[in-house]
Amino acid sequence: MSMEKLLLRNIGVTDSHTLAVYQSRGGYQSWEKVVRNMKPVELIEEVKASGLRGRGGAGFPTGMKWSFVPKDSPKPKYLVCNADESEPGTFKDRLLIEQDPHAIIEGTLIAAYGIQSHTAFIYIRGELVAGAKILERAVEEACRAGYIGKNIFGSGYDLDVIVHRGAGAYICGEETALLSSLEGGRGWPKVKPPFPATHGLFGCPTVVNNVETLAALPWILERGAAAYAAMGTEKSKGTKLFSVSGHITRPGVYEVEMGYPFKKFLEEDCGGVPNGRKLKGVIPGGGSMPVLRPEEIEKVNLDYESVQAAGSMLGSGGVIVMDETTCMVRAASNIARFFAHESCGQCSPCREGCHWMEKIFHRIEHGEGQTGDLDLILNISGNIMGNTICPFGDAAAMPAAAFIRKFRPEFEAHIAEKKCTVAC
Amino acid sequence: MDVVKIIIDGKEVVTTKGKTVIQAAAEAGVAIPHYCYHPKLSIAGNCRMCLVEIEKMPKLQIACNTQVAEGMGVLTQSPKVLAVRKAVMEFLLINHPVDCPICDQAGECQLQNYYMEHNREASRFEVGKQHDRKKTIFGPNVIFDGERCIKCTRCVRFCQEITKTDELAVINRGDHSTIALFNDSVLDNPLSANVVDICPVGALTDRDFRFKVRVWYLQKTPSVCPGCSTGCNISVETYQNRIARFKPRINEAVNSHWICDEGRYCFHELTGGERLTTPLIRQEGGLVPATWENALHAVLAGLRSAKAAGVLSGRNTNEEAFLFAKLMKKLAPGSPLEVCYQERELNETQKILLSPDRSPNFRGARDMGVGANGGCGSLLEKLLAGDFSAGYIVGEDLLGANGADVTRRAALQKLSFLVVQDIRLSETAKLAHVVLPATHFGEKEGTYTNRKGRVQKLNAAVIAPEGALQDWQIFLRLLDSAGEKLSYSTPSQIFQALAEEVALYQGISYATIGDQGIQLGGGGVEQS
Repeated sequence: MSMEKLLLRNIGVTDSHTLAVYQSRGGYQSWEKVVRNMKPVELIEEVKASGLRGRGGAGFPTGMKWSFVPKDSPKPKYLVCNADESEPGTFKDRLLIEQDPHAIIEGTLIAAYGIQSHTAFIYIRGELVAGAKILERAVEEACRAGYIGKNIFGSGYDLDVIVHRGAGAYICGEETALLSSLEGGRGWPKVKPPFPATHGLFGCPTVVNNVETLAALPWILERGAAAYAAMGTEKSKGTKLFSVSGHITRPGVYEVEMGYPFKKFLEEDCGGVPNGRKLKGVIPGGGSMPVLRPEEIEKVNLDYESVQAAGSMLGSGGVIVMDETTCMVRAASNIARFFAHESCGQCSPCREGCHWMEKIFHRIEHGEGQTGDLDLILNISGNIMGNTICPFGDAAAMPAAAFIRKFRPEFEAHIAEKKCTVAC
Repeated sequence: MDVVKIIIDGKEVVTTKGKTVIQAAAEAGVAIPHYCYHPKLSIAGNCRMCLVEIEKMPKLQIACNTQVAEGMGVLTQSPKVLAVRKAVMEFLLINHPVDCPICDQAGECQLQNYYMEHNREASRFEVGKQHDRKKTIFGPNVIFDGERCIKCTRCVRFCQEITKTDELAVINRGDHSTIALFNDSVLDNPLSANVVDICPVGALTDRDFRFKVRVWYLQKTPSVCPGCSTGCNISVETYQNRIARFKPRINEAVNSHWICDEGRYCFHELTGGERLTTPLIRQEGGLVPATWENALHAVLAGLRSAKAAGVLSGRNTNEEAFLFAKLMKKLAPGSPLEVCYQERELNETQKILLSPDRSPNFRGARDMGVGANGGCGSLLEKLLAGDFSAGYIVGEDLLGANGADVTRRAALQKLSFLVVQDIRLSETAKLAHVVLPATHFGEKEGTYTNRKGRVQKLNAAVIAPEGALQDWQIFLRLLDSAGEKLSYSTPSQIFQALAEEVALYQGISYATIGDQGIQLGGGGVEQS
């Protein structure tokens, strides 16, 4: 794969996390251009034209999200950078946070300007201690350089940026739970409507954007929306980061042009499954997305539409590769345990259902499975799907059902034999 | 108000903009099952029991948080909706202990009711229930069973939004989530026991009531709280002719859905103790039982033409006050009458419901002519000053707790004639020349007029002990013996008479009072 790196352009450069290096590579020029020359509405139109979509998992068009913020609201508006990266198998934002924090900050500033926010928050996952320190230092540098603060570039525009550490709950990556947490409350998703665009942080208009989404903005403003939109497919523009882990020769974070063939990516770019083993399954978009069988990815391209057509979702781009030695019962059980542990407990189907599924997966894994357990899990997951306050319910239900549907004979054998039947 | 038409299960429903589907449906008589939704609390949307199908929306929507829109089609009985209700019921019950036989909520439990309506399946859960605390004391009146809790957070929201005291919070995560006291707080705010009423399951129970009566044995009588002059609407719930508990009765013009703890438990004080079941007359050696005839005769003789002080309890009804005023005018003209009334300081949370007095009908009594002579305090001062030769004290112990008020005791002892009418042989009654056994609020029918001038109806919830007479019966018999022949003989007829005589009450009848009361002076304070 040979393509210009947009998001990873500073990764690997010595001291890429410092302001000096970032500036030497053209950093904050987009910010200056935006503040000096662009009206917020022009900025929003530019981002809309780029086709940029949210990289946190849902893929919602970024410019459109900004445009939902009421322009005449008397309340303060808030921009929140979602750096609560916790999706299993996902570590793309972390790389940016630790090695290119100024790109995130510059993107945050641009987005804040777009919605005319004067206070932006970077909500970072509690466990990312080093990342939080790096971001704080970078914010400090940017303040001293005048990119953040009062009367930026003499324009009269004021903006403050606050780095806020989460307390370590996966659910706080869900935007309304993040806002509850940021407000100082329990990390519980809010009932929608109303939506954050009108009633977000402290009841004020708020936009929450993912780290990767924001980090793409400096490039888009530098090269223009058309250049960004020229990459990718008809509906999935630009590039996307993929964090590849599991049974793969070269794990790591990759930047890929949208629409790149999945199989080629795994085999050529990531070096394929090591040790001469065969691929058994791959989760394309983080632990909450349905697993795909090898034959299902034959014709899949890495863009939102293609992955969805194959029955899964691009999600966060957390690619988890499993080779033929993987016990799918154990893998499913592991994922179910994660979601049971992380369910916030607010709404009934998720609170009760996630633990129920986890307990059944656990008993199957440990040789105590019963006939009917698989259908029971499918039924429970179906009862959770679509019936919860936030997408967490779906995130727990989808992988559980997918593992069973796609590897049913292995589950049945595991139940019948009362142990793992995968030779390893 | 903008009128909006929606279609619920094929039937057109006319409602107003801003309403939610669950509200519009309820108004149209369509009950959408729910746990976390409460009309007086913010929307939590967590139980998922009210999920309904909204046409053109791909996913089911919670009726409690979906606003009506013109032409909106709502399905509350579609296969998808019925299936999800069944599923939610199953989720709510998998970790529930199903300990109904020892649960006070049994019989008025929404888990039981909705299980019968929407699930009726055997449990498919056989992997070990999540356990929780079974009896955590939250406060003086409320105890918590975590295993029965469905985390609807009504109690948490009540303490945040209604009392603003924030004692309760959800702690832990996932199926370990549970309700707990926040930090070191205690659930002892003046309205604390309302969380028991709004708890849809058996998680929060009333420490006073629990384990006393199975609720299906309770007889429920709509009435008015005798605790103070707010006049909260209550249901007096009785078992074997004893009051077992008060529950609030919804009245948006008075108490909304709530009652205060002081009112809720006041029946213990107001009805407890050994009852008087026979009149007593003082003879040498003390008070001895007498017939009603002799006792009433003694009262007439003792009060006639005396300079008497008449003190009526604030818990006597309008009908009783009306007759008392008539009686005293007839027997001892010019004698000052007062209704007992004393104020105390209230804190902010108390002020949500409580009035500063403990005299539920002081206003009504004054309307009937008992009072307006300078107030109860001034009358008692005159009593202490020795202005009176006789006294007629109804339903109040003027000597305070344990008869501690020695100056009043001395003043009462100086009276040449004292009649006390009460349910117990109080310290005051012990000083009387004649004691008449009467009835309490729970045994009588009548009306109270609250502090804001709302006339409301009391109904007899229990039967008075044999030997005692209703206060109004005593007054009627005394009036009769005194030569005042009256044509009425029931509280309803007395009310009719007073409505004719007391200008403010003209046009009001038991029928117009109904079970929600009526505002004096044309209902200016009334709310829908």
